[in-house]
Amino acid sequence: MTGIRVYVSGMGIVSPLGASLSETTEALRLGRKGLRPLTLFPTARGSGCLVGEVSEPVDAASVPRTHGLARMAAAQAMAECREAPDAVVLGTTTGGMLTTEALLRESVRDPALYRYHALASVAEDIARRYRCTGPVITVSTACSSGAVAIKVALEMLRSGMARRILAGGADSLCRLTYYGFSALQLIDPEGARPLDRERRGMSLAEGAAMLLLVANEPDRAIAELLGAGVSCDAYHPTAPDPRGKGALKAMEAAVEDAGISLADIGYVNLHGTATPDNDLSEARAVNALFAGRRPLVSSIKGAAGHALGAAGAIEAVVSAIAVSEDLVPANIGCESPDPELGLDPVRVPLRIAPSAVLSNSFGFGGNNACLVVGPPGKYGRASAGRAPCHPLAVLGSACITGAGDTRGTLDGLSQGRPCQGMLSLAEISKDLPPGDVRRLKRLPRLVLSLAVAAHQDSGKKDYPSSVFAGTGWGALSETHNFLKGLSETGERFSSPTDFVGSVHNAPACQVAMRFKAVGANITTTGGDYSFEQSLMVAGLMAGETDGTILVIGADEAHPELSELFDRSVLPEATLSDGGGALCLARGKGGSGPSVGLVFFENGEDNARVISSLVRALGGPEGVIARYGALFAGIPGGCRKEGVEQLGAFLALTRFKGPVIDYRRLTGEFATASAVATVAASRFVAQGGIPGSLFGGKDFPLHRKGGLVLGFGGFVTAVEIAPQ
Amino acid sequence: MEALLAELKVKIVEILNLVDVQPDDIDEEGPLIGGKLGIDSIDLLEMVMMVEKDYGVRIDNKELGEKVFASLKALALHIEKNAFAVSR
Repeated sequence: MTGIRVYVSGMGIVSPLGASLSETTEALRLGRKGLRPLTLFPTARGSGCLVGEVSEPVDAASVPRTHGLARMAAAQAMAECREAPDAVVLGTTTGGMLTTEALLRESVRDPALYRYHALASVAEDIARRYRCTGPVITVSTACSSGAVAIKVALEMLRSGMARRILAGGADSLCRLTYYGFSALQLIDPEGARPLDRERRGMSLAEGAAMLLLVANEPDRAIAELLGAGVSCDAYHPTAPDPRGKGALKAMEAAVEDAGISLADIGYVNLHGTATPDNDLSEARAVNALFAGRRPLVSSIKGAAGHALGAAGAIEAVVSAIAVSEDLVPANIGCESPDPELGLDPVRVPLRIAPSAVLSNSFGFGGNNACLVVGPPGKYGRASAGRAPCHPLAVLGSACITGAGDTRGTLDGLSQGRPCQGMLSLAEISKDLPPGDVRRLKRLPRLVLSLAVAAHQDSGKKDYPSSVFAGTGWGALSETHNFLKGLSETGERFSSPTDFVGSVHNAPACQVAMRFKAVGANITTTGGDYSFEQSLMVAGLMAGETDGTILVIGADEAHPELSELFDRSVLPEATLSDGGGALCLARGKGGSGPSVGLVFFENGEDNARVISSLVRALGGPEGVIARYGALFAGIPGGCRKEGVEQLGAFLALTRFKGPVIDYRRLTGEFATASAVATVAASRFVAQGGIPGSLFGGKDFPLHRKGGLVLGFGGFVTAVEIAPQ
Repeated sequence: MEALLAELKVKIVEILNLVDVQPDDIDEEGPLIGGKLGIDSIDLLEMVMMVEKDYGVRIDNKELGEKVFASLKALALHIEKNAFAVSR
């Protein structure tokens, strides 16, 4: 069988343990601790907590600190690679937040200075530096972001859509997370003590780690990425399921995905944050999985702290060090293990080969991801490879715009009426029980409402089991409120509820809780291409999901923040927001059309992107034969490039059907393409495009499909094909 | 004490956005958390912040929190005993 195995051919790491692989290995070998008092910004309450601050200078003069950390790790991982990566996939939770906080505090209103605010700007910066013209994906699933990014990269490699991917995670310390975790009382000011009977919480940290992952064996493989598994607790916005069910499911999925037996796992690199709840639920899951067999276990978070979105990637690198250097890290900070956990952590670093390593990462909202790393070629099996981005059958759909819910929006669009503006909060929440959403602000209500409506439209009794959500800017209301509360009280108080709601994956976790959706739950973010990213990831993951899949794209407009962050939002324009959701099933089926992401390339520094798009769509003949109408997404912030790209596409293909410049109708918001995709799928199902939509006569599609194109910094194509 | 209890009821309903709950619906002796009000651990932390901000009483660990928030009455007693100034 010819199959695909995925190897680590280069890696880089910056953490409180050191700024290189050799420093990190040395620190792990000596069992060194990297926690010290915070110096990065002054804190209101005296010297504050011990944190894992990177002590080496980070070049953050021209970019925020997270970007600087990511650049350092990427430079190490790419040191011996002369070719551009086919894709960049990173996990992060704070992006440029440290810089944004300082700017907001000074009431700076120049959008140019916020251009690195977006979480996605970290991966985009790395892609630019290494001339990556392929997809650039940003995963934000809180503390599992780095591990989920590696899972996504693994599936991209297995699918054959890429052969070389730079994957990892990065996060810098910032006030939002420092005070947010404090407000949740999840911090041990004296330093994390994972698995200890006296443990009181975590130590916040920062860092970055990158792995150059390649399909099939390179000349010099450091380790093999054998498999990965994801799951969702669907239990609570912050607390893990005390029974550890979600954690167990992700670990089982990872081991099965790796094609190894449990006996091959010699070491479990625990998530081990040292919060009382995490360690207890994780211990229950580990004990349930190994049932009596006792692999070595340790958490490095007592030594390195918890670097949030970077942690999963940092620990993937540590796992690769473990198998390549025969080094099992110690569980620093644990004086006397908690007997209730039933785990015996490694107390001093061990110089032994651990066979395969299972590395756990669990995030807020129960977003779990586990990786299996082993020495190259020794364990596991080659993956048979999967078709990239299965076509997914549309079972149901829903959208929201300023014009109303699905009906209001589609009526508006069909009559060519603008759907700009913002629907009132009461309208958005009209089908949601008030008690259930009392703590939710605008974005989670939009997302939850879309999810409920798309599921209802599917007519299926069973709830969807997997959720993929894309958001360009995340929960702006919660983020704004939290930072405002903080600055108004001299950094003494801010709302824990707002902090919990501010993480990008919070809305998707609300959906998971409502639907008890315990399958994959992945939030992606990438400005105007966030929905396309989530559709891509859904396609990649569809092969391992049972049940139906929800793909959602939504954004909220915010009177203060939108015009600072999103360059398509001009101060004088009508603020618009909303989104769309699709309830999907694998393969063909049902009477609705199928949907799939068929093209995603970086448009920057990529002169051939439009010819590449046309080729991917089967050439001009393929485009004419398969598609009756185009929905063109041209963000206002890159109108000129977008119009040129569309012009080039039309010239190359000689496409003569309707072209709908949909942002003119929906208004400017990052996930307007989700609305366009829902509308396109409805029109394809009906077999025609209403004339008013493009200023012509009603246009029959004659069994052709529709194409939702994204232009600007990236060029994307979502195909909607009739059954 | 009565005044403080009444004040706390109003504040709790407001900061937790307890829709469909009137301040007087809150049972002074019954459990605040996990009861029929639907208050959970995140709400508890929201109340911790309010208590510190408005009454200068700090509740900085889970064990103390569990004791103090056992009921509205327990909370009021704790505040009365420890407050430097009760805002009115």
